[in-house]
Amino acid sequence: MWKLISVFLLLLLASRFDAQDTARPEAEQARILTLENAWNQSVQQKDVSALRMLLAPDLIYVDYEGTLMNKAEYLASVQSLALHPVRIVNESMNVHFYGMVAVVTGVCRESGVKHGKPYALLERFTDTWVRRGDNWVAVASQSTLTPH
Amino acid sequence: MIVRVYAALLICASLFMAAQNYGDSAVRSNILALEYAWDQAQERGDIKALSAIFDNALVFVDFDGKILTKTEYLARVKSDSSYLQQIVTESMSVQVFGNTAIVVGTYRAKGVEDGRPYLRRRRFVDTWMLMGEHWVCVAAEATPIPH
Repeated sequence: MWKLISVFLLLLLASRFDAQDTARPEAEQARILTLENAWNQSVQQKDVSALRMLLAPDLIYVDYEGTLMNKAEYLASVQSLALHPVRIVNESMNVHFYGMVAVVTGVCRESGVKHGKPYALLERFTDTWVRRGDNWVAVASQSTLTPH
Repeated sequence: MIVRVYAALLICASLFMAAQNYGDSAVRSNILALEYAWDQAQERGDIKALSAIFDNALVFVDFDGKILTKTEYLARVKSDSSYLQQIVTESMSVQVFGNTAIVVGTYRAKGVEDGRPYLRRRRFVDTWMLMGEHWVCVAAEATPIPH
């Protein structure tokens, strides 16, 4: 019985103090950048299963037009038949770590076909990732158009 | 005995969850107050107040996609304050993830630029972190939206 109580108390403590975990910053940075690239590839391939794993259930997403979306709305927008992204590439990404949180800023170049017309966008983005257990998930993302 | 221990555990768990819910609610209020303080400080061009709101490593992405450091942002507010008349936050919601809070909202900014009045509307996402006993904004981005 006391073992059960001890485990219960440890779980309580772990939920309060997991932010003190210290992983190697370089490795975590590489991991975050890989996830950012995986996100782009998943959008390009309309791979919603992969996106589901990358994004937190309570995702806040603001696209370059200022439209606010939750996770379901964002996944639906990725699956839109009118949108065919051909190339999505991130440039000059920076990762700032705050314990179990990472804030990524960068520039995203996206081109493709939308409603039958070619498009090319250059967006400045800010993504916030939170570490949950062994995984990082994106909790917020916002893009703003920037001049070419 | 076992029933008593389980009862004690259940009480402990419910108290812990209640404390967390109360904690999140208090955090939300705190963050919203800071957001309003930010608006007021920006209207007044109060650099000292703004400096306390932001982390030194602030990453600010403006509505035109320009990226600014804390120093650059404060310098811009100082030069803006002569023609910025009013900032009104229309809606805000706060999501708390442990020691991180994400605020999404919209605001209207009114002022005069090059002798002409302007009214701008933007959607923003701000990321706040608890550092020590204080919440500070570490990242902010604004995207233009239609009026």
